[in-house]
Amino acid sequence: MPELGRAALVVTLALALYAVVAGAYAARNRKRRLAHSAQNALIAAFGSTIIASGVLVVALIRNDFSFVYAAAHTSRDLPTGYTISAFWGGQEGSLLLWLLILTGYAAIAVLLNRRSARDLIAWVVPVLGLVAAFFAFLVVFRASPFVTQVAPLDGRGLNPSLQNPYMMAHPPLLYLGYVGLTVPFAFAIGALLARRADERWIVATRRWTLVAWTALGIGQLLGAHWAYEEVGWGGYYAWDPVENAALMPWLAATAFLHSVMIQEKRGMLKVWNVLLVLLAFSLSLFGTFLTRSGIISSIHAFTEGDLGPWFLGFICLVVGGSLALVLSRLPLLRAQTRLESLVSREATFLYNNLLFVALTLTILWGVTYPILHEAVYGEQRILGPGYYNFFLRAFGLPLLLLMGIGPLVAWRRASLRSLAASFAWPAGAAVATGVLLLALGAGSSIPGLVAYTFSAFVLTSILYEFTRGTRARRALSGGSWLRAFSDLVARNRRRYGGYVVHAAVVLFAIGVAGSSAYDTVAEGRLTRGETLAVGDYRLTYVSLEETAGSNATELRAKVDVTRNGTSLGTLEAGKNAYTAEQQVSNEVGIRSDLVRGEDLFLIAEQLDPDGAVYFRAFVKPLVNLIWLAGLVFLLGSLVTLWPDAREQRRLALRYARAGISARS
Amino acid sequence: MARKRSPARLVIALSVAAVLAVFLLYTSIVGGGTPMIQPSELLGRTEVVSLAGHVVGSPRGDAHAGGLRFQLRDIRGEGQGRVTVLYEGSVPDLFRPGRDVVVDGQLRNGTFVAIPGSLITKCPSKYAPDTDKSTT
Repeated sequence: MPELGRAALVVTLALALYAVVAGAYAARNRKRRLAHSAQNALIAAFGSTIIASGVLVVALIRNDFSFVYAAAHTSRDLPTGYTISAFWGGQEGSLLLWLLILTGYAAIAVLLNRRSARDLIAWVVPVLGLVAAFFAFLVVFRASPFVTQVAPLDGRGLNPSLQNPYMMAHPPLLYLGYVGLTVPFAFAIGALLARRADERWIVATRRWTLVAWTALGIGQLLGAHWAYEEVGWGGYYAWDPVENAALMPWLAATAFLHSVMIQEKRGMLKVWNVLLVLLAFSLSLFGTFLTRSGIISSIHAFTEGDLGPWFLGFICLVVGGSLALVLSRLPLLRAQTRLESLVSREATFLYNNLLFVALTLTILWGVTYPILHEAVYGEQRILGPGYYNFFLRAFGLPLLLLMGIGPLVAWRRASLRSLAASFAWPAGAAVATGVLLLALGAGSSIPGLVAYTFSAFVLTSILYEFTRGTRARRALSGGSWLRAFSDLVARNRRRYGGYVVHAAVVLFAIGVAGSSAYDTVAEGRLTRGETLAVGDYRLTYVSLEETAGSNATELRAKVDVTRNGTSLGTLEAGKNAYTAEQQVSNEVGIRSDLVRGEDLFLIAEQLDPDGAVYFRAFVKPLVNLIWLAGLVFLLGSLVTLWPDAREQRRLALRYARAGISARS
Repeated sequence: MARKRSPARLVIALSVAAVLAVFLLYTSIVGGGTPMIQPSELLGRTEVVSLAGHVVGSPRGDAHAGGLRFQLRDIRGEGQGRVTVLYEGSVPDLFRPGRDVVVDGQLRNGTFVAIPGSLITKCPSKYAPDTDKSTT
């Protein structure tokens, strides 16, 4: 079995290298059949990687501890679902998953585009092959998941905090996102190599970027929810370098998603778009480098292996090579039009991009600051959450506002009169919300108040856009309001799906502001019968119970909850002691009030031998909007991604036109 | 026609200037971060630092009553320097002898007095199977 896995990976490496060499030669010398064979090699590499992954999955399920990897990450009493998720529980398996997703994406990208964009795909194949070859090289020579040993009696088990349903979905989704950014990158580089600098690479990869971006966003939200429920300190994001590593490519990709629209509509920002996609892709590599090198201290301790230099080398190659290529192709990337006015749709997109990139770069600076400081002064210094929170407000709040302004401003040049007309409602709603909240006492946090006022502005402007569109549609074709509305969305999926995503961002902002700026906390040691008050809630400690679970001993403190005198039932919080892993983990109690959107969050911090418990309790207003935002975000992305025959025809026309203008 | 060229450049120049201004504002208010050091480097330093170390010996006391006392040594190397930490606030699940922790605070009369609630442990070995078998 392990031989099969190892052999399959060697085959993957060989096929990927073939795709690079043969693909590049074929593209350069216009050898169509050789190019075809390079494409097939890339597709076959997906097949051999599936075989290797299958071997690993079977070994994990069968508890075959002669595989070092299986013994290190599973144990006999681990439930089957988690033995499968141990696939990405360690470094070797994570790299294999990366390779699997990459070759899978590459195969699909080749199959979808080999006819419609033949001369482009010829150069995309060697680029994808190069990235695949790098990861295949790592799993063949540096971190093989198929190392064997004399099988021990039992494995060492999976980290208890990873034994959680979220951990089955969070890492693969992040990888789907990280790796997905490879495709637009490869198409951008492919287009430059092919000297086809029209917007075709952007049109061909729009959905890829969206899929990767959606997966990365949802993956991060799941990770945040996992941290909230499982790690149990009452928060969901801590600006840890590893969390930032996932956030940075997402921010860069968000900027890219917006700026491609200007290139599509107005033929501007061509160099900028290539640079953004390069930034997004190299940040996703950089994120993997951070987690794999241990160069920056993080609470997420991954293997501090010897892969760091390899990744650093590859990142340098990617960034250096791409920049050199962009420089050599600069004459092809000249803009077709210029910015006409500072008050226009494209200008707001430009501001949006500058803010996103500024936010990304300040986070990057914060993450690398310890190393840079050590290099210059010989001592690491770290920038704490205060640094990040400051810049999140400095750049995030203007971005929030811009999200409401952008859709209301016309392309090219907006007149003041039309601006005043469209801004009346949103601005009025924002002011009203601000005054109302001030009266209700929300002035205790200025950033929170600003965030809410801006949120009201954006939500009203989104509603305004939907009503205006529906009304126009109805005037045009008659019928019911509902019909006009669904027609409107169906005919402009990208635009209105985008607005739904904007609404999700607003919900997210409201949730974050509510739970961080307006939360309440109380703590204390309680013996049985004693009470702790937090916000409107009163918590009475009733009893402590011990039960034996399948792989852990579970201690639970039961607490009676009342709010303003009404009983709300009991809440449990406690600790699990895992036998195989010899570890204790906090099991927090969360009572979600879906009507108010707030959570009562209870931690049993310390269980004393005499039966007393040290509790810490939070009331987190509106925190559930964050998770709701995830669903709305997914809905909006799906609307945008949904196949659209009308759009396909438009694109086909544009392909043809782009082809002609490129040839002339 | 020269006027037509200007807006984009103006925007970019203004934004870069704005970003720099915000950055300067920030560094002037908050300062340039906290030093991250090991127990052996602590001697004679009294400013607030982040201390990263390896827990040795057995912790005593109660983190919620009078404070928890534990000793840290350097994570790497045979660290001569050891320091006693006095800590109050929540203790992470993964805290125990043999683990690597990071805690913020400052040295007072030979004891590292921690900022309440600042203790974090690094995730243990299951992400990193091959390190340090002796600790578990």
